[in-house]
Amino acid sequence: MSTDTVAPAVAKPLSLRRILPPIVTGQEIVLLGVLVILWVLLGIFTPAFLTPASIGPLLVQVAPIALIGVGMTFVIITAGIDVSVAAMIMVSAVTTARMLVAFDIPAIAAVLVAIVIGAALGAINGFLIAYGRVHPIIITFGTANLFQWLGLRVFDSSTVNGIPSTLEFFGRGGAGSTLGVPHSFAIAVIAVAAAWWFLRYAKAGRNLYAIGGNQNAARLAGIKVQPRLVWVYVVTGALAGLAACMVIATGTATLDQSVGSGKELQVIAAVVIGGTSILGGRGSVVGTLLGAILVQTVVSGVTQLGWPTQLGFLFVGIFILVAVGTDLIRERTRRRA
Amino acid sequence: MTAVTTPTTADQRREPSRFRDWITGGALKDRAVLLLALIVVLLVAMAILDGVGLTSGRFNSDYLASTLIAYVPLALLALAELFVITSGRGGIDLSVGSMVSLTGIVFAMLYQQAGLPLAVAVVSAVAFGALLGAVNGFLTAYLGYPALITTLATFYAYRSIALVVSEQRPISGPEISEFYSAAKAIELPVIGGGLPLVPLGVFTFLLPVAIVAWFVLNRTTYGRKLYAIGTNDTAAQWAGIDTRRTRMMAYVTAGAIAGLVGVYTVAQFASARPDAGTSGSGMALPAITIAVLGGVAITGGIGRLSGILLAALLIVWLNASILLVVPGNEGAQAQLLALGVVLLGASLLSNATIRRRQGGLAKPLSVPGTAPGAK
Repeated sequence: MSTDTVAPAVAKPLSLRRILPPIVTGQEIVLLGVLVILWVLLGIFTPAFLTPASIGPLLVQVAPIALIGVGMTFVIITAGIDVSVAAMIMVSAVTTARMLVAFDIPAIAAVLVAIVIGAALGAINGFLIAYGRVHPIIITFGTANLFQWLGLRVFDSSTVNGIPSTLEFFGRGGAGSTLGVPHSFAIAVIAVAAAWWFLRYAKAGRNLYAIGGNQNAARLAGIKVQPRLVWVYVVTGALAGLAACMVIATGTATLDQSVGSGKELQVIAAVVIGGTSILGGRGSVVGTLLGAILVQTVVSGVTQLGWPTQLGFLFVGIFILVAVGTDLIRERTRRRA
Repeated sequence: MTAVTTPTTADQRREPSRFRDWITGGALKDRAVLLLALIVVLLVAMAILDGVGLTSGRFNSDYLASTLIAYVPLALLALAELFVITSGRGGIDLSVGSMVSLTGIVFAMLYQQAGLPLAVAVVSAVAFGALLGAVNGFLTAYLGYPALITTLATFYAYRSIALVVSEQRPISGPEISEFYSAAKAIELPVIGGGLPLVPLGVFTFLLPVAIVAWFVLNRTTYGRKLYAIGTNDTAAQWAGIDTRRTRMMAYVTAGAIAGLVGVYTVAQFASARPDAGTSGSGMALPAITIAVLGGVAITGGIGRLSGILLAALLIVWLNASILLVVPGNEGAQAQLLALGVVLLGASLLSNATIRRRQGGLAKPLSVPGTAPGAK
């Protein structure tokens, strides 16, 4: 990153260790340590924090962030970004909610509808980014506006009322967890595990790192860059759709127009705190999961300590800087070594 | 505008190839011409709709002038993004909205609660904004944080501080209510009689900043340095430019401009709202959108003041027109659609024309940070 490294590690031979990263990298161990310290501190100062009644809802709130975070990690590894996820959640959530109200469709159909809508919106992003060759942040700023318009059109009136509890499987209540583990969080963990395997062992997964490292080199090495990019944004959209089901389930029977608002920045925060480089070519989904838990812990912890809720976001900002800062320092020492 | 286009259409009959060259080479590449054409198209279309009677209100110069009250903050923040994005290395500022909120609160505290004179309070607010921008700039330019990360973090931090310091309550009072006159419409002196009422903020806030910015960007060494580091950071460094200092100053400038917008929003709403710049989707995203629409290359080194001013004008007048044609809630929604379509259309179109001019298909996608020396 620093300007004095004009010729980056060109001459360095690629050892196998550098191609296949260790199962957990330094960043993840640090994150885990910070999480444990935070939980212990919060447990000491607010006795209610380390109880199932408090941890359960926390994990339920982590789930959508971590789930979309998986897709966002893919996107950022390819040196892209997607700021339209909040709008995709909104379109998915409101369409699904209205179908639940109007036709009382079964849960499985609702989930399918949400995922298909999310994937379709993601496909729009993907095609424009891969074939339009405009920077992803511009495309997704643009599509975020389009999707928001679409979502508001589907809302029609100001809110969707009387949503049936069809999706309680993902919810906060008793039907939403098995043996104390919230289903939504379990789904997020399964998605993270699958994505971890995919990024580490699947050829298509390794290709994403190549594209993020150097798109031209990846193309010359025979990787079909554009289909891969489309696919990455479709996955992000589909996951945003699934996350929308969780958002419906954890809310009340009413859905208002602010649904999803601000989620895009929370997801990006979780991904970068997790150690994924915003410049592309490096990152892990396990870090993203830990980052999502960290963000939610800080936000919930501040509330439970009785501090102003908004103060939590100051700490989120500081955590982003500290997490990326330690990563920058490590990167610099590694290059010097 | 018509004086320019008519001879070209005459040329087209004689030499169609030159017309094509002009379209694909000059006109669409020069974003100012494209935006001006779009504004003219919009005005003509609206004049026709108004004449036929399809609009819910009168579409005339008074209405257009009154909408300029929303033009001032939008154009100023897009100008702030121009400095930051042009500085290159993935430069972007997501925190401008939070800086607007925070400086607005600080201004109201100094002016209303501490009772400072207006000039002192304004200067302090702008200086405070510059300080907030300096935090962004120091982290990005000197410590090497990617700008997206820095400003995402400070977006959260500044927004949170604004809400906590004000205890989530807007600050208002007699002094601030009086200050409202700084934003409201006035009649121009001397030539004002026949012209529509223009909001005072255009002259007190936007015009001075625009003139200074134009001078700095085009007539000072700092401006040259800014474009140089945005075009090629490594080359600029070898040319003896202090790239870090230059880049940091871009963020400081953005902060100062955001501070000024903070003061403006206090005048506009007649109270300092802690969420003035962050409510809804915030002020940063529209500002970046307008900067990009105005021809600022997200990869740095390219961007002109004229593009910013015209793009902001196009969006403000487009929004105002939509409200006349599509009344009520649907109109507000249609504004989102229009902004998205215009942004996507302009960026895809300009990208396509640049690619055709360069004569190849497989131009690499430029991503901030992938330039040599950036990693």
